[in-house]
Amino acid sequence: MQSAAAPTSAPSRQKPIPRRFLWGWLWALPVLLALGLAWFSIMRPVQVLPRITLAPGYALTDQNGRLLTSETMRGKIVLYSFAYAQCGATCAPTADLLRALQARLPELGAEVPIEFVTIAIDEATPEELAALAQTRGADTAVWHFASADANRLKWVVGGGFGLYFAPGPDGTYLLDQGYMLVDGAGILRAEYLRAVPDIELVMRDLRLLLQEAQHSEGPARYAYEAAHLFACYPR
Amino acid sequence: MTPTELHPLLPSTRPRWFRFLLPILAVLAGFGLGAVLLWRGVLPIGPRQFHGTLIQSPTPLANFTLYGPDNTPVSLRDFRGKVVILYFGYTYCPDVCPATLAELKQMMAALGKQAAQVQVIMISVDPERDTAVALQKYVTHFHPSFIGLTGQSEDDILAVTTPLGIYYEKHAGTAATGYLIDHTATLSVIDKKGYLRLIYPFGIFGKDIAADLQTIIKD
Repeated sequence: MQSAAAPTSAPSRQKPIPRRFLWGWLWALPVLLALGLAWFSIMRPVQVLPRITLAPGYALTDQNGRLLTSETMRGKIVLYSFAYAQCGATCAPTADLLRALQARLPELGAEVPIEFVTIAIDEATPEELAALAQTRGADTAVWHFASADANRLKWVVGGGFGLYFAPGPDGTYLLDQGYMLVDGAGILRAEYLRAVPDIELVMRDLRLLLQEAQHSEGPARYAYEAAHLFACYPR
Repeated sequence: MTPTELHPLLPSTRPRWFRFLLPILAVLAGFGLGAVLLWRGVLPIGPRQFHGTLIQSPTPLANFTLYGPDNTPVSLRDFRGKVVILYFGYTYCPDVCPATLAELKQMMAALGKQAAQVQVIMISVDPERDTAVALQKYVTHFHPSFIGLTGQSEDDILAVTTPLGIYYEKHAGTAATGYLIDHTATLSVIDKKGYLRLIYPFGIFGKDIAADLQTIIKD
C-alpha cells in the first residue's frame, strides 16, 4: 500500500534517459563525423594552395654580384619570373605586372617577407642585371635579378621549373612564359603559365600563402593539414 | 531516502533541455577524442599528422642514375618497392652530415623489422673528393644498409639536386679541412611507388621520422 500512496504526495521524478535514445546518439556519432568531413571538404572553411613539388635548388649571382641561393630565399614567399637582357617590349607586360604587384605588396600587411626573383636566362652579368632592374623600376630590396652560367640555368629553369628556353636570332630567346610561386619551405605552390596572369589571382594566392604561414601554428596547424589532405584548394 | 527526497524541488527547477546536455557533451567529447586519435594515427584509419612536410606530387620523382660502390650504376628505380630516404652531403662535412646520419641510424633502430623496407641513400655533393669507396665506407660506419652514391660530373649531381630543392656551393675552409661545401640539409622521403612524399628540415629526430615511415610503409 505504501507504494500506491507515495506518488501522489511526492514531486514528479525526472524520467530516466531511454536506452534507445543513447543508442541513437551512438549511431549518430559516425554520421556526424562523416558529415563534418564532407562539410569541411565541400565548404572549404580553410583554403590552401597545393604543395605541387619542391622548387629547384640553385646558386645564382644577383645584380650586386652577390650569391643568391634557394637557401637565401628560405622563409620567404617568392614569385619567380624569367627574362633576358634584350627582351625589351616582349617582356614589358611582365615588368608591368611585377611593378603593379610590387606597389600592392603593402596592402597584404605581410609578416612573412614576399619577394620577387627574376632569373635572366642569358647568363647576364651583374651590371646587365642591375641595368635590367633599373629599367624595370624594381625596388631591389624585394625584387632581385639573378643569373648564372648556361649549365646551371639549364638545370634551374629547364630542369627545375620546367620552362623551355633556347637562344633565338639577334640576341633574342625563345622562352616559355611563366611565373612560379614558392613558399618559405621551398615548395612550389602555384604556376602561372601565361604571359600576364590576372593580378587579382596572384594577390589571392599570396594572401592564402600568407595566411597559412601566419596561422598554421599550434592547433590551427591541424586544420591546415586537413585542408591539404582534403584538397581544399581555391576554385 | 533518495536524493530526490532530500532535495524535492531540484528536479522541477531543471529546464527540459538539461536532460539532453549530458548526451550532447558526451557526443562532442567523443567526436573530439575520435578526431585527435585519427589525426595522431592511434586509430588504424583516417588521415595522419606527419612530422615532416607532406608533398602531394602528381607524378613520380624523375629517375636518376649515379654510381655506387665499385662504381656500379645505381638508379632510383632500383629501389621501387622500398621507401627511400635521400640525403645530400659529403664525407668531409664537419657537423651537419654526421649529425643527420646519426639520426637516421636512430630511425633504423626505432623501425625494428620494418627497417628492411627502408633504404637510406646519401648522395655526395663533393664528387671531386668523395670516391665511391670512401663514400661507402663513410655511410656504412653509421649503418650497414646505408648506400652512398656519387656522380662522375657536375651534371650528374645537378640532375638530382636541382629537382629536390638542394643547393650546394663550394667555399674556402681551413688548411685542415680543405674547402667546405654549403648545402641544403633536408631529407627527402620517396614512397614505394616512387613519389616524393615528405620533406624534413635539418634537426629532425630519428624517432619522429620512424613514426612517419610506419605510415608510409603501410601505404
